[in-house]
Amino acid sequence: MEESLQAFFLFWLAGLAIIVGLMLGFFSKQSPIRRFGMVLLTVGTLSILATPWTLSFSPSSSFGHFLGSILGPSVLLGVGLYNIAFSGHVPVGRLSESDKRAGFVMVLIAMLWFEGMHWWVLTPTYPDDINRYWLIFWPTLLVVTAFASFVVYYIVKTVGDERYQEQRLLLTLFAFTSLLIILGLLRDGPHVESTHFAEEFWLAGADVFGLMVGAALAILLFALVLSIYEAQQPLPKQLDPPTTHQLEEAAKHIAKHVGGVNEDE
Amino acid sequence: MSEPTGVSKLSNLLLASLVIPSAFLALTFVLHPGVGEGTLVRFANSMLTSFTMISFLLLLTLFVYGDARKRPMTPFFGMLLCGLFGTALSLFFLSQGDLLMEDNGSVRAQALSNIIRFSTTVIACAIAALIVLGMLFASLMHTPPARLEFEEE
Repeated sequence: MEESLQAFFLFWLAGLAIIVGLMLGFFSKQSPIRRFGMVLLTVGTLSILATPWTLSFSPSSSFGHFLGSILGPSVLLGVGLYNIAFSGHVPVGRLSESDKRAGFVMVLIAMLWFEGMHWWVLTPTYPDDINRYWLIFWPTLLVVTAFASFVVYYIVKTVGDERYQEQRLLLTLFAFTSLLIILGLLRDGPHVESTHFAEEFWLAGADVFGLMVGAALAILLFALVLSIYEAQQPLPKQLDPPTTHQLEEAAKHIAKHVGGVNEDE
Repeated sequence: MSEPTGVSKLSNLLLASLVIPSAFLALTFVLHPGVGEGTLVRFANSMLTSFTMISFLLLLTLFVYGDARKRPMTPFFGMLLCGLFGTALSLFFLSQGDLLMEDNGSVRAQALSNIIRFSTTVIACAIAALIVLGMLFASLMHTPPARLEFEEE
């Protein structure tokens, strides 16, 4: 098969399958379609993860390698946080104390794994250089985590009632990510120099701002399209006002079911 | 001092959302004054790609909206036009010489590179949301349920 056709089927079509699978899997009301969506999602993800072997000639395969590199810590993080959350005060299906401890260990390993990818020998390298998508991902993750933790801290402080523990936790997370950013800007890692990190961090800022502006414009247009469509719809048929007989019947039913309580009872 | 109103809380929130990333970027510029090359190009590429991709994603959500609305065609065409407009705009600007080109040899390569970079940024944002909201949720679930205390009669 021609190389570009191979890349189309094994990478781009797989990417489309992931998006369509996600939409069908999460939004469809019919369970066979939901299952089909999940199958599409799994097949698409596996196809992209396999690109370092199936499309080794294409530059797009770096993305597959990058996805494979962050899969481990991301899954550990998700499962760990799930274990911690559902071993708390949940009325049904509460997890055990050992699940909670396992959750803490998983989150800790995930954090150390991510750190090791910048500060130790675990940096994703493909084929001989550092994976360029890792260089986009890491600064973006740091800046968005710092930003989101501060914004959520502010929301919890404003809306929450005596949520001091959550506020402390979010501030700690903000301080931790800020420290990582500052360290990355000041000190060279074994594979990524501070100047390189600074360049990528700056461009990650441009990426995130661009993404936010583009997304806001698209959502605004989406709302506009729907509101114009809804405004053009004819009003639903108005019912006639109730007759005296209907009102009397309703009064009878209400009197039967809503009784007053005597004070001496 | 008066209590902050809803509007002032919202404006404070917006201010905080702008100040935090801006402060980090300012710090980067102070520590490494050489950075900044290609910022506008990256911003424009990211904005156009995000607009186009999210328009198409919202187009897909209209299938769900259609379930409750007898499958109307008008909003579907509206969002399709938005997506196509974004695509046309991206291709137009990418084909204007070096205006939006980065380290790629052709318009197609640049467009595909933009899509992969957009995906990488979205994955980073999703994991950041998982960390922040997951920790918040886990903490909330470990707070003992509030008890109502009544005064003795």
